[in-house]
Amino acid sequence: MSDDSNAPLNVRTFSQAISDALDEELARDDSVFIWGEDIGTYGGIYGATGGLFEKHGPERVIDTPISETFIVGGGLGAALTGLRPVVELQSGGYFGIAMDELYNKVARWRYMHGGKFTVPMVVRLPEGAKGAGQEHDVSPEALFLSAFGAEIVIPSTPADAKGLLKSAIRDDRPVLFFEHAVLYATSGPIPPGDHLVPIGVADIKRPGSDVTVIAWSRMVIEALKAAEELDSEGIDIEVVDPRGLRPLDKDTIFESVEKTGRVVIAHEAPKTGGAGGEVAAIIAEEMIECLEAPIVRVASKDVTLPQSRHLQQYVLPQAAQIVDAVRSIS
Amino acid sequence: MVTNQQQVKFYEDMVRVMLWEQRAMRLMQEGKVLAGYHSGRGQEAIPVGAITPLRDSDCIMYAHRGFGYTIQKGMSMVDMFADLMANVGGSTGGLGAGIPHFADPKLGILGQGGTLGTCFPIAAGAGFSAKYRGTDEVTICFFGDGTSNRGTFHEALNVASIWKLPVIWICENNRYAVSVPSEKSTAGRIVDRAIGYGIPGRSVDGMDVVSVYEEVTEAIDRARSGEGPTLIEAECYRFRGHHEGDPQVYREDGEIDEWRRRDPIESHRQRLIDNEVAAAEQLDGLQAQMASEVELAAQEAENFPMPGPERVFQGV
Ligand SMILES: Cc1ncc(C[n+]2csc(CCOP(=O)(O)OP(=O)(O)O)c2C)c(N)n1
Repeated sequence: MSDDSNAPLNVRTFSQAISDALDEELARDDSVFIWGEDIGTYGGIYGATGGLFEKHGPERVIDTPISETFIVGGGLGAALTGLRPVVELQSGGYFGIAMDELYNKVARWRYMHGGKFTVPMVVRLPEGAKGAGQEHDVSPEALFLSAFGAEIVIPSTPADAKGLLKSAIRDDRPVLFFEHAVLYATSGPIPPGDHLVPIGVADIKRPGSDVTVIAWSRMVIEALKAAEELDSEGIDIEVVDPRGLRPLDKDTIFESVEKTGRVVIAHEAPKTGGAGGEVAAIIAEEMIECLEAPIVRVASKDVTLPQSRHLQQYVLPQAAQIVDAVRSIS
Repeated sequence: MVTNQQQVKFYEDMVRVMLWEQRAMRLMQEGKVLAGYHSGRGQEAIPVGAITPLRDSDCIMYAHRGFGYTIQKGMSMVDMFADLMANVGGSTGGLGAGIPHFADPKLGILGQGGTLGTCFPIAAGAGFSAKYRGTDEVTICFFGDGTSNRGTFHEALNVASIWKLPVIWICENNRYAVSVPSEKSTAGRIVDRAIGYGIPGRSVDGMDVVSVYEEVTEAIDRARSGEGPTLIEAECYRFRGHHEGDPQVYREDGEIDEWRRRDPIESHRQRLIDNEVAAAEQLDGLQAQMASEVELAAQEAENFPMPGPERVFQGV
């Protein structure tokens, strides 16, 4: 948190926020290093590691070969032997190549070896639709819901990106850190100083009283747009950003649902198999008596995302779908 | 040169590994082991010879073939017996496993993945870590001939070579992956892949503990002095089935008898006697001593209770 509350807020892009977090943690702790494809002199294909190579040197900011099982599995080996790796998959879409490493190893190593190790490792996975084709443009976070050892963190603003990434690096548990590629260019204010955001704490991005919209990643931005439109109709939505899926901040979600009795869940992954189903089930199981209307999910259509950006508009959820969903239960 | 004392120690260590396994099998026959088992009988020279030159701070990624690796790296035999029985005395505190997930960070025992080939990237990462931390620690990665065909092998050996990581890759070529003979699954010689990666490749008689020790010692010296990884292919043979209960229909006639004549423990014993390094009585005495050491460990391990339901949510 800020030690000087009068200091001006620093406006940074999401990708600058990521590199600021990495920069500060590299400077703070010698055991932190980063590796991935083109993250060195090139600064990462999204610019999220820009300037770090020059500042921290080739021993700590490391270009790897195109070897995803090594990027993840090698990071695990380093984490088991005293280091704090922050590894990047150039696209989160490559999760499948390293799925054994991510799901079976990084997430499970500590548990299956009797809690003998900590795995202080962060895996950064750029995700979401950006026009790069169906294998790249995925939001696979729900696949890791059953990878119990790993935390799942998903920022939606530059400030959250920075604060959550710094917390993730200091966390002794492995963290899967999903960054929506469309968000990299967005900008926002970042509190000065050693800005940390605790993992597993939701943030009310907009308080409201009529309908709870639980949204994460890019859908938070869409939900805030929807809020403006709905406001003019006299519907006041509360936008709850869980900022990740594990730990899931049920308290904040439940408090909001208790207040509104109406829930929309919005994410970019397809509806079937998306984490919205899990969140909806939790709400239904634990507080159905508070609900005054069915839970509505806003998500991508159940189809492989077409490569054509023209067709993508018919698949990807936007503010308009959130507006419709809210209206349908208001 | 290997000292006489070390020669005798090799015998003692291989016998310990063999007897540990025999005792573990008795526990299995008694129905006390909630898991399958991959015997390492016939391959004891490899873990014993390769791990002897390691320090505590050096790391291993071990294979599923017997328990020689962890015993030789210094893990408590009690803990391991208890792990097999999945009671609270085990190193995993009762999690148990068919493919045991033993680990001991203090002894550099980094654990094991149940999906073959996981070991390669993790070992490379441990090697990177040793270098990054400015130590001269090394990591040995053990794997079978079948496992060498995983794609992870390539990713890890490539990176270990370009970054000169202190990792020794030891392939135990026991000629089969479950039922499939190596020549039907594996192109070329595994050791020759070293040429492609631009690293030293060494072929060694995996039935001879001294040869294994000497070759691995050289590889460790290279790794410690910053010269990077070595690929070693140890020719060997497993005397029992892939797992206990394997009908072993795939072996060629007479093959096993031929290899049994090269039993790593028997042949080393004979060499010690022939070269007058040790007398038969001394070696018998050692064997009896190992047997009682193992027996005590097994009995101690049997005394622990099974975990309660609270264990499930510990160490998550
Ligand atoms: C990725 C993966 N594929 C298959 C298996 C099943 N499996 C376990 S051991 C084994 C044979 C391994 O052969 P090899 O590497 O030569 O070692 P050996 O058993 O001969 O010591 C197989 C196929 C597995 N555990 N993991």
